[in-house]
Amino acid sequence: MKTKRIMMTVLLSLLALSFVFAEGQAETKTDNGLTHIEMWYNATQTEVGPLPDDWVGYDILRDEFGIELEAYSLPSNTDDQEVKIRAAMAADELPDFFVASRAAFLDLVKAGMVADVTDCYALMPERTAIMFDQDAINFTTIDGRSYGFGTPSVIVKNEGLVIRKDWLDNLGLEIPTTIDELYDVMYAFTYNDPDGNGKNDTYGFGAFIETGSGHEIYPGRRFQPLLGAFASEGTWDMSADNFGLQVRQPEYYDFMVVLKKMMETGVIDPTWMAYKKDDFRAAWKQGKFGIFREQNSALHSENNYAPFDKNFPEGELIVIDPPVGPNGDSSVGPAVRGLRIWCVSADAAAEGKLEKICEMFEWMGAGEGYILCGWGQEGINFYYDEAGIPVSLDTDAQLGFGQAVGQTYIQLRSMAFNYASDLELVSRYPSYNAPTSGKPMSSLETLYDMQSRKWTMTNGQDSMPLPTTDLKTFYEQGIAEFLTGKRELTKDNWTKWVAELDKMGATAWEAEGKAYAEANSYLI
Amino acid sequence: MKSKDYFTKLGKDLNRQKSIYLLLFIPIVVYFIFKYIPIWNAQIAFRNFKSVRYGILGSTWVGLDNFKEFVNSYYFWTLIRNTLMYSFGKIIFSLPLSIMLAIAIYECRVKWLRKTVQTLSYLPHFLSWVIMYGIILSLFSPSDGIVNDIIKMTGGKAVDFLTNAKAFPWLVIFSDAWKEMGWSAIIFIAALMGIDVSLFEAAMVEGANSWQRVKYITLPAIRPVIVTVLLLKLGTIFEAGFGQIFMLYSPAVYSVGDIIDTWVYRQGLLDGRFGLATAAGLFKGFIGMLLLFASNYFSKKVSESSLF
Amino acid sequence: MGKKKTTESVAVRLTAADRTFNVIINTIMGILLFIIALPLWSTITLSFRPADFIGTYIEGMFMAPWNWSFDAYKSLLGNNGFLLAFTNSLKILVYGVAVALLLTIPIAYGLSIKDLRGKKFLTIYIIIPYVFNVGIVPTYILIAKAGLTNNLASVFLPTCISTYNCLIMRSFFEGIPGELRESASIDGCSEFQTLVKIMLPLSKAIIMTIGLYYGVQFWNDYFRPMLYLTKDYLRPLPILLRNILLAAGMNEFVEANAFGNAPVEAIKAASVFMSAIPMVIAYPFIQKYFTKGTLAGSVKG
Repeated sequence: MKTKRIMMTVLLSLLALSFVFAEGQAETKTDNGLTHIEMWYNATQTEVGPLPDDWVGYDILRDEFGIELEAYSLPSNTDDQEVKIRAAMAADELPDFFVASRAAFLDLVKAGMVADVTDCYALMPERTAIMFDQDAINFTTIDGRSYGFGTPSVIVKNEGLVIRKDWLDNLGLEIPTTIDELYDVMYAFTYNDPDGNGKNDTYGFGAFIETGSGHEIYPGRRFQPLLGAFASEGTWDMSADNFGLQVRQPEYYDFMVVLKKMMETGVIDPTWMAYKKDDFRAAWKQGKFGIFREQNSALHSENNYAPFDKNFPEGELIVIDPPVGPNGDSSVGPAVRGLRIWCVSADAAAEGKLEKICEMFEWMGAGEGYILCGWGQEGINFYYDEAGIPVSLDTDAQLGFGQAVGQTYIQLRSMAFNYASDLELVSRYPSYNAPTSGKPMSSLETLYDMQSRKWTMTNGQDSMPLPTTDLKTFYEQGIAEFLTGKRELTKDNWTKWVAELDKMGATAWEAEGKAYAEANSYLI
Repeated sequence: MKSKDYFTKLGKDLNRQKSIYLLLFIPIVVYFIFKYIPIWNAQIAFRNFKSVRYGILGSTWVGLDNFKEFVNSYYFWTLIRNTLMYSFGKIIFSLPLSIMLAIAIYECRVKWLRKTVQTLSYLPHFLSWVIMYGIILSLFSPSDGIVNDIIKMTGGKAVDFLTNAKAFPWLVIFSDAWKEMGWSAIIFIAALMGIDVSLFEAAMVEGANSWQRVKYITLPAIRPVIVTVLLLKLGTIFEAGFGQIFMLYSPAVYSVGDIIDTWVYRQGLLDGRFGLATAAGLFKGFIGMLLLFASNYFSKKVSESSLF
Repeated sequence: MGKKKTTESVAVRLTAADRTFNVIINTIMGILLFIIALPLWSTITLSFRPADFIGTYIEGMFMAPWNWSFDAYKSLLGNNGFLLAFTNSLKILVYGVAVALLLTIPIAYGLSIKDLRGKKFLTIYIIIPYVFNVGIVPTYILIAKAGLTNNLASVFLPTCISTYNCLIMRSFFEGIPGELRESASIDGCSEFQTLVKIMLPLSKAIIMTIGLYYGVQFWNDYFRPMLYLTKDYLRPLPILLRNILLAAGMNEFVEANAFGNAPVEAIKAASVFMSAIPMVIAYPFIQKYFTKGTLAGSVKG
């Protein structure tokens, strides 16, 4: 009996213990007159650690605004973020202030779980002047009321079609301008040993599957410059007189024929269907292919360029114009603004926190708070150079914003940045000399170069209604199977497939898209 | 009178075993809280559920709508076929392989070989599918995979294993077997360790050779564990390995790669359709339950080993 | 050990069939060793690969050790959050396994008693939730209502009784000769005393194995902590590792380099060994209990 009692006690106490031992649980919310705000944000770099407790911003917010801020970072991957927000919504565990995707945002509005913030823009004059133009407000407006703040999250038009200039020179080729010339160069890159190593180990074109939020449906972003030659870039043709899915345009079939030819003659790295982003980037750094679409920083920032420079000191990657198609069309792809939506939970508004949240958000959008979130404290995390640009300090305590510890102090950068001002761009993309070849490099120049190329400007393409899962599956699977040869690519089969697509709901999707585009005057 | 006897006996039995019921009390309560309350919550499958904010009972009852959406999906039968193909494929290949591995480790007389294999074989379990994908790509990539290099060297044409609907299922089944074989063998090794060694001595005295020993002593000794594992796997026949497929598949192989769980992830979770996701879970559970009861009954008849 | 010696001395008289058997077993083991060790080795060398490595995968596997780079491990271990995440994971592991075993053993033992009243009911009681996997949200609602969010216990409590593990353990308990239990009950032991005095000492191997299964499951769980633990400082190792992995592949957004010089692939590979730590440490100890014929000896002795 005795052992039994001991055993039971142990069991029970362990169970009780497991409930209790949690740290940070059941924080006593003392009534200290401060407004408590819990916030979920996109960290600048989730992996370097959370915003430190001694971040001076906490003190400023407490002392000057009467805000007790609790900031927690969201998971680093967008799918996980989506599931996290959706699940928190289902379990009614949403924080006061948080980031949501547009799809989640729409459901939140429908469920009445986010606050109406239409009147908040007036409370944030500086931030509104910088980032909330009519388009941004439209992005979060439903039936005339705005339910969130659409803030920029990416630099617009920061990608371009890139070619190995040194390979062109080795083979004595000109920069290709038309889609046919581009194909010929790809062919030469594949079979004429452009790197001169005597091995048949290169390909003309490289890509991987990267589909964007609605506007870059399969085969996705890396193929947009090729699609552009056939005026089929993006998911939608947003023109008023010819609105519809690009895949329905007759030119789209011509694109398929070209891509199919590229696959059959082997001028495209055949692993493209299986590469993930890392593999793709590792592949061009190892010189596996000579033409691809890439982002300016991934291409030419010091860290990203260094391995390529080491492998190919003579190598040179230049941005070129997207190829011109048979009808004179060309485009790098659809340019969208890529807004992220900040939402205030309905509960927070009910508790009267809306005004305080706006004060905080405004403070982070301009002036002192902006600098603090974006770069940290002057003299501790950064200094201003002669041009007035913040530069990371190099300290032993690693406190510079580019250093290990300092990076944690700029975790809230995404709440401050507008992703367009020179201050931000110059500071983010400093010039440097390539470590091995010593070439002067600047990913900022690359960015400007990329932005100057021909893009298709479409507003709202990334907020268009999404297809149902089965329709999207059918769409992606169909195109993939035409390319792998599981379906034979003939005009007949293609027409049949498009007809099936309609049966699966493409017509309804298109109608929904048209209504949405018209309602928001997105048609060009 | 008979029922009175029954109750007397029941009372006696309960009294005799009361210490065990006492011991079982806490686990049963914990289990109830963390397993049965979620099952109660799973009624969101029958509702148009958005958030618990308005209460589970507060969301509209939609009956079988979520189930219908799943069952009426264009891909329903493809999903079922693929899911069953992978789960049965894995049972057929991985289970015998892990039993074989366990027996090989048990029977191996070369000490260093035994020790090394035993210590290494479970490690692949820890390679996440992200890493496995890297390894698979380096082996099977059509541009510079090792296997394709060999094919090309011998004059063949590179095979796109990862995006070819014929090769993909084999890739899934074998990569899973490779990764999990050692891990699942642990349980069989533990079972083998319980065998009474004197049985072997007796067998040897009677002149049985190694094959006969495996057949008449080793295998029967671990049969209960094998049956338990097999029956439990049958109960979750619709869990075909989400993590693996999700990492390996792509639109080119949707026709043979899409399984119920990946479909639910795209349709249910990413879109916040938790009612639908739960409905699919209940559907899977219902079929799994039928299968488990049927196979348990069958197993009891044939082998006398069963779960209940 | 003595027992084993006799087996081997008897085995000297090998018949032809025995010899073929040994050859086949050794061949199988050899092949397995090869197919298991090769990718493992490639992962190990991958984790030591320097950023400026050029060459094929195979060349990478035979890179000389003096060219190895420890940057990947440095960037993982040197991460600001590593120690904290490791501690959190360790807490989840230790508490989780303790609670899980304390709850699993009684069920397994109860189910192994032949004439236990309500045994069938109990079996079905634990099997139903195993089969009906209701998904994340129904459980999340419970966790939220119970106020367990942002509590490390929320990671292991929902899975601390695994039906699979219970039933596996039961079949081991059933394998323990009935005569042992009977002799115990004749000696006047209650069922509880039988469990503690007779069953547990004989079942070390399986308890260790099941503990290991639980431990690895808790250690590597990503999804639950991602949903239930919102506060950064509560996050366990899998979340940190995943953040590092994803960040390594997101270089377009990040200009500053958080990873020293380590290439993405190396960081990925090194993170594998981080997630295998508990297993690598625990398994040798557990193997000690994997001695042949544990039961037989006890019956006689």
